[in-house]
Amino acid sequence: MALLEVSDLDAGYGDLQILDGVDMTVGDGEYVTIVGPNGAGKSTVMKSIFGLTTYMGGTVTFDDREISGLRPEDIIRTGIGYVPQNDNVFDSLSVKENLEMGAYILDEVPEERYDAVFERFPILEERKGQKAGTMSGGQQQMVAMARALMLEPELLMLDEPSAGLAPDLVEEMFDRIDAINDSGTAVLMVEQNAKEALRRCDRGYVLVQGRNRYEDDGSALLADEQVRQDFLGG
Amino acid sequence: MGVVTLKERFSDTTAQEVFGGILVLGIVVLLLDLLRLVATGELSPGRLGSLLWYGIVDSLYIGLAAIGLSMTYSILRFANFSHGDLVTTGAFGGWTVAYLIGGIGAADFGSRLLLDADGGARAGDLGMDILASPVAIVLGLFAAAAITILVALAIDRLVYKKLRDAGGITLLIASVGVALALRYIIAIFYTQDSRGIVASSPRVGPVNLHEATLVVSAVTLIVGVHLLLQYTKLGKSMRAMSDNKDLALVTGIPTERVIFLTWVIGSGLAGVAGYLIVLDRSQITINLGWFLLLLIFAAVILGGIGSIYGALAGSLVIGITINLSLVWIPADLNEVAAFVIMILVLIFKPDGLFGGVETA
Repeated sequence: MALLEVSDLDAGYGDLQILDGVDMTVGDGEYVTIVGPNGAGKSTVMKSIFGLTTYMGGTVTFDDREISGLRPEDIIRTGIGYVPQNDNVFDSLSVKENLEMGAYILDEVPEERYDAVFERFPILEERKGQKAGTMSGGQQQMVAMARALMLEPELLMLDEPSAGLAPDLVEEMFDRIDAINDSGTAVLMVEQNAKEALRRCDRGYVLVQGRNRYEDDGSALLADEQVRQDFLGG
Repeated sequence: MGVVTLKERFSDTTAQEVFGGILVLGIVVLLLDLLRLVATGELSPGRLGSLLWYGIVDSLYIGLAAIGLSMTYSILRFANFSHGDLVTTGAFGGWTVAYLIGGIGAADFGSRLLLDADGGARAGDLGMDILASPVAIVLGLFAAAAITILVALAIDRLVYKKLRDAGGITLLIASVGVALALRYIIAIFYTQDSRGIVASSPRVGPVNLHEATLVVSAVTLIVGVHLLLQYTKLGKSMRAMSDNKDLALVTGIPTERVIFLTWVIGSGLAGVAGYLIVLDRSQITINLGWFLLLLIFAAVILGGIGSIYGALAGSLVIGITINLSLVWIPADLNEVAAFVIMILVLIFKPDGLFGGVETA
């Protein structure tokens, strides 16, 4: 049984249906990428897993437990961390306070949790008193990831982690995600930078108009002539 | 060459910068005039000092109420026009308890319950001052907070909770309705008559004890709110939610619980503000909070709506302005000065209004 299993999921916003029978799995410690054109519903998949959209049918199970219909604050307890695409830090809170909020559901945050994320992102320890809103885009992205890692999730969902980053920082960001995955955390990622994402991941999905179009190993999708032409710009 | 650069320089100046310049210039001129008035003896330093002191006192109760208004704005995302009538609720509720406890034996129960609406429970006969009835007045203070909190939570449950996702304008209009309903429900019981219900303040030397009670209570509460926001998990989650409600949700912050506590703190402070205003002014009227609401809004807008520290700074500006302006203009017009400043700030820094946060 896979860690995350999405099957025949229909979801959207209000009356507007976006996802039409999406199937997706993420295994223990696996690194999975969702690519596809704008408006394909890539971000909607993640939001739906996290209980932020209107549920319309299908099932989502995590760790053999049905989680569709749960509230975000309950889903976070099952072991899923989520980093939204934009506005993903609390601007007026310090770095340390952002991390503390990440572990809100714990009564007491063990000091080791801070140590662990500071070890991963040393710059955040240097700047732990700085207000997150005053940091650069790359640093804010680190704060957002660190916040989601505070609960040591089994699955980390990242929505467009490279969006808005300067080109020289994009590589660095992908390296960090590799490192998080190498330490055993499963990763589900939506990326506009499709080629790089597929090169790095274990497996990928191509989503078009709210439906699965292709599914294969990242390298196989990269090599596929049709996928290259239609979705990766040749 | 000099002409060209000068022209270029001014073409870069925005309307906002021009207004800002005029505002700063105006303040400098007034400060210089103040110095002149003091130097020529037209304004005694003692009078200047007391105007500033009244300004600080006014800013404290405006600030107490402004914290709550700012909190409900930033966390629930609407301008709550019923906040002023929560101030009124606290005033009537708190003083009713003070009368019930402090006036035992001095007046009949009904007159005490209705705060002397029938003229049967005179403040002087009841000994309604802080030295004669300290226990009753302090208990009344706590009751003001408790009663206002209960009323605000009931209103949230009955009205605002059902409209949680309805948008700022709908909530704003609903809150105007709540304001009127609340005020006239109070009027049914307590009548619309304005009346003095607190005996004149005892003094120790130069210190007015009622004013001192107001200052000490308000400062304690404001410091308490500051400590809560900065150092407790609850306070941090309130700031987090006011920053970014969607992110708070995906972070696992229980947003409904934060909303609940926002009402508790915001309305509790509003109720205490109403109670303390009556202690200081002796007079109570059902329009107490409604008339104050405009000043509270002015303070919150000045400081950038949604920012609690901004609201406190705005309260200080408003409090000082309405008092210091008495040097130049008659008392009937002093609130005009506050609103002129508010309007200038709105033009100069429209961010001040719904700064960074959408909807009304």
